[in-house]
Amino acid sequence: MRYAIFLGCAIPIKYPGFEAVTRLVCERLGIELVDLPFSCCPPSTSLKLVHYDSWLALAARNICLAEEQGLDILTLCSGCVNTLKEANHVLKQNEGKRRRINRILEDSNHCFQGSVNVTHILDVLYQDSVVEKIIKEKVRDVPLRIGCHYGCHYFRPPKVMYPNELSDAESYVPVRMDHLLSIIGVEPIEYSRKFLCCGSPLGANIDLEAGYAITRQKLGYIQERDIQAVSVICPSCFEQFDMGQIVLAKKSKDRIKTPIFYLTQLIGLAFGLSPKDVGLDVHRVKARKLLEETSIGW
Amino acid sequence: MTDIKIWKHFNRESLYECYQCARCTGSCPAMEVAPAFGPRETILKCLGLGHERVVEDERVWLCCTCNVCEDRCPQKIPICDLLVALRNSAARRGNIPGRLAMAVELLAKTGRSMIVHQLDGMRAHHGLAPLPAAPVDELRKILRKAGLQQVIEF
Repeated sequence: MRYAIFLGCAIPIKYPGFEAVTRLVCERLGIELVDLPFSCCPPSTSLKLVHYDSWLALAARNICLAEEQGLDILTLCSGCVNTLKEANHVLKQNEGKRRRINRILEDSNHCFQGSVNVTHILDVLYQDSVVEKIIKEKVRDVPLRIGCHYGCHYFRPPKVMYPNELSDAESYVPVRMDHLLSIIGVEPIEYSRKFLCCGSPLGANIDLEAGYAITRQKLGYIQERDIQAVSVICPSCFEQFDMGQIVLAKKSKDRIKTPIFYLTQLIGLAFGLSPKDVGLDVHRVKARKLLEETSIGW
Repeated sequence: MTDIKIWKHFNRESLYECYQCARCTGSCPAMEVAPAFGPRETILKCLGLGHERVVEDERVWLCCTCNVCEDRCPQKIPICDLLVALRNSAARRGNIPGRLAMAVELLAKTGRSMIVHQLDGMRAHHGLAPLPAAPVDELRKILRKAGLQQVIEF
């Protein structure tokens, strides 16, 4: 199993620990990762809103790099997977747009063919053959009660992100993270408005306070249940919940109490890696006390 | 600056599919915390007042881009395409939030969405090699040819 790994911006720059643990986990699972000179994805929350053609052209360039190596793209971020999957979808379907974008790319010797697929680390880990390997590599349970947060862009719009798995209402309700975590001994907990946005794009683009108001709402729904920690698959959602709790505590004396994990950090813990090996030491909301109460320790 | 042909990106006829049920607005997270139009009012304004009135207002930007509106729409109106087209038009007219303009300028100048600072130390802490620089010249050439300078100078 071989993929071009698409790191994006937030992970290698702000949260390199997620990159490091993902590489370790993939190595243990026999998933080969190839690094290519990718640029920013670019986000559907910024450049796409400002100038659609620029967004599509840069995304197409990234896809072309993988096409030229004959590799599918593995992303680690709900934003990156949204941009690259949608661009891939649009360019495969729409001949006019494909021609227009290829004219833009011809000076840099790229030509979009539509020959590869874009996927997310969660979907790669969820494949049957990989799940079998996870069960084999697992050396301990991660006995935590966890609420999953998928990130809106991971699965919406469903007709682009999961066209073959739509419900009767042409919608898609993600469950893969909950299922995957239950394999490593986690107890996934449901909570109200599980698919509410984290607030990050609103805060980043225009109104920081309003963005954190959504974060506060969402944390409220999480904390009213018996949830010890949250698992995410997107660095922007992570920052919004992790840094967000610090910001909200300063502003309104909310208690800082819910550690946030990136999915592969939890898998890494189950593979026997230490909390420091999986990069938990740099999180703002500390997981130390929580883990010391379990068999994992710190 | 010339405006974009907004109805080329979103079929104007689709606006008439909307029966103003407000499922979209009822599920919009931005509506709960900010004085946003919400999708229902956006569609109504486009129909009643013309899209110019929407794109000249800075509230057009109060959105999480979470796409839940389109997901809940019983008429399956491609609301997200409409919102992207409206904001592209707003940006073309110079209506673009300062924070977002700075983010796009950074992207155009560095090929990344984040400022790279003290990066090598942080990456080394996790046992990673430094991140190679993005191929800025190639990216700028693509962005110029795509026409980004119509909106942002870089």
